[in-house]
Amino acid sequence: MDKRKKTDQEDNGVDREFISKNLEAERRRRKKLNDRQLELRSLVPIITNMNKATIITDAIAYIEELRNSVEELTDQILQMEATDENRNTKNEDININDDDHPMKIAEVEVNHICGTKIWIKIIVQKKRGRLTKLMEAISVLGFHLIDICITTSQQAILFTSSAE
Amino acid sequence: MISCKFICQLLQFIVFFISGTNTDPQSTTDKRKTKMYEQSSNFDPAMNLHEEERGIIGQNDVVNYPHENPKIAAMEMELHHQLNLEIEHCFNNGCQQINNWQVEQMNASFNLENHHNQNQNQNQDPIFNTTQYPTTTDLLNIFPFPKYPSLLSNSSMSFSTHNKNSSNNNFLASLGLMGEINPNAGGDGTSASGSVIYDPLLPLNLPPQPPSLRDLFHSLPNNYAKNGGCSLFGNVDERDNNNNHGNVGLMYQNDNGVFEFTATGEIDCVGKNRDGKDIKHFATEKHRRVQFKGKFDDLRKLVPNPTKNDRASIVQDAIDYINELKRSVAELQLLVEKKRCSRERMKRPKMENNENENESNSLGNLESGSSLRSSWLQRKSKNTEVDVRIVDDEVTVKLVQQKRINCLLYVSKVLDELQLDLHHVAGGLIGDYYSFLFNSKICEGSIVYASAVANKLIEVVDKQYAAIPPSSSY
Repeated sequence: MDKRKKTDQEDNGVDREFISKNLEAERRRRKKLNDRQLELRSLVPIITNMNKATIITDAIAYIEELRNSVEELTDQILQMEATDENRNTKNEDININDDDHPMKIAEVEVNHICGTKIWIKIIVQKKRGRLTKLMEAISVLGFHLIDICITTSQQAILFTSSAE
Repeated sequence: MISCKFICQLLQFIVFFISGTNTDPQSTTDKRKTKMYEQSSNFDPAMNLHEEERGIIGQNDVVNYPHENPKIAAMEMELHHQLNLEIEHCFNNGCQQINNWQVEQMNASFNLENHHNQNQNQNQDPIFNTTQYPTTTDLLNIFPFPKYPSLLSNSSMSFSTHNKNSSNNNFLASLGLMGEINPNAGGDGTSASGSVIYDPLLPLNLPPQPPSLRDLFHSLPNNYAKNGGCSLFGNVDERDNNNNHGNVGLMYQNDNGVFEFTATGEIDCVGKNRDGKDIKHFATEKHRRVQFKGKFDDLRKLVPNPTKNDRASIVQDAIDYINELKRSVAELQLLVEKKRCSRERMKRPKMENNENENESNSLGNLESGSSLRSSWLQRKSKNTEVDVRIVDDEVTVKLVQQKRINCLLYVSKVLDELQLDLHHVAGGLIGDYYSFLFNSKICEGSIVYASAVANKLIEVVDKQYAAIPPSSSY
């Protein structure tokens, strides 16, 4: 913890003010650090000693431990998923095939606002992957989307956007 | 580690000698000698010499340390003196040819032995003495020192072992001798090369710079600090202060294998007087602070999104990260459980969420349902910030990216990959940034966990950014 000393001004009174302000600031800073360290210690279940250095050491150890368990669990999940995939792939294939059917577009509306801006509104049948195709199309057209709002309800996707 | 080994060996060595004093028969000592010779790997000329000596000395068995005979003491002192002179000689010449020195040493001991033999042929004791020296150095050869400084350490070793086993008088005398030599050898108390008793050894090893010595001493375990002072400066002072404690402190300098013995006792150590405690505290305090800072740095490295570099925010980041990890662990555990449950064909409680009632429902669902899964992650990269919240089925992604390229396309691709059904998207260009909010739902049966979502998003977005410079000049 460095103690920074402010450079002196002419007056003693001003000095004292600065120093006390600095003192206050320093005290607050230290307090903040200590409070946070306490908080850290309260989180960590394994506490050996109660001094500052060990708080940090224990926190490091705990973080490592948590990380390891996260990795373990994710591996586990991936494994389980791998075994489950065999069951599920067939279903997904069917879904994708459906998507390839031409999409039903209910409504498209384009309005010109001002300058180069236009306003687009599209209602499409809800299927997975619609947005992607939409975005592809828009980027192909070279529009920059200024803002977007998409909502879905039941089977329809409403896409409104202003673009330029 | 090395110092521990050394101490073990030293103790063995001492025990060896002590036990050596207790046994009589010649054969055992001869066996021991052969053992010693076999074990010693370094000094062949020594071995040759010693074999000759063995022939001369022959039937002597005991390696006797306690010397009642004043003559023997005198001999010893002479030998010490000679060895000291050798050291000094070496030092003065900047002697790097260790073998020569060693040969000289052997010669010196040899001369002394001859001297002994001439004077007291019939007397067994001096012969004991003479055997002592070669065997001393032999035993010293046993220690696995790195070659070049070992001679130096040999000399110091002999002093120390002598110290342990001999009477006080001899010790005093030998130290006195050492004290004599020190000023000549350039004991410079204030220099960082560390002065005082075993100074002549140090200058020979100056190539590793003094700061390294200091660092080394600082890195020694605290035990050594207690014994003999582990800091350079503390070294001096410990000896000064601990004159009456009778400690023998050991320091092993890793780089060079030089041993320093802070032999304290009733002797006034040669050295400059300083404020012992201040310097010692300064060194250890500094060491402590450096270590402390190192730990903060370690902590910072662990955290994924380090922000500022000052201690308070490091701690704060650590707190946040711990909380995040805890949530992730809980989430993953839930997932695993769910997987198992679904495998066993148990139905989960269905949560119905319309996109409009997302927030309120999710809050309500937090109380109900024991198997509710919730997690929240934030990830930042240079251009992007991703905030992923998962509550049971719902995945809410907040994405903030710098205005460079419209990444909606790629984001939507990623969301499709992850099998998330978009329910609601809102966002747009705000000042410099694109900001989007995606509400989506996880398909049944797919495994998505927060960190995966976040990581993928960041990955994709960054990839696009990386691909930008060559393609567009926007």
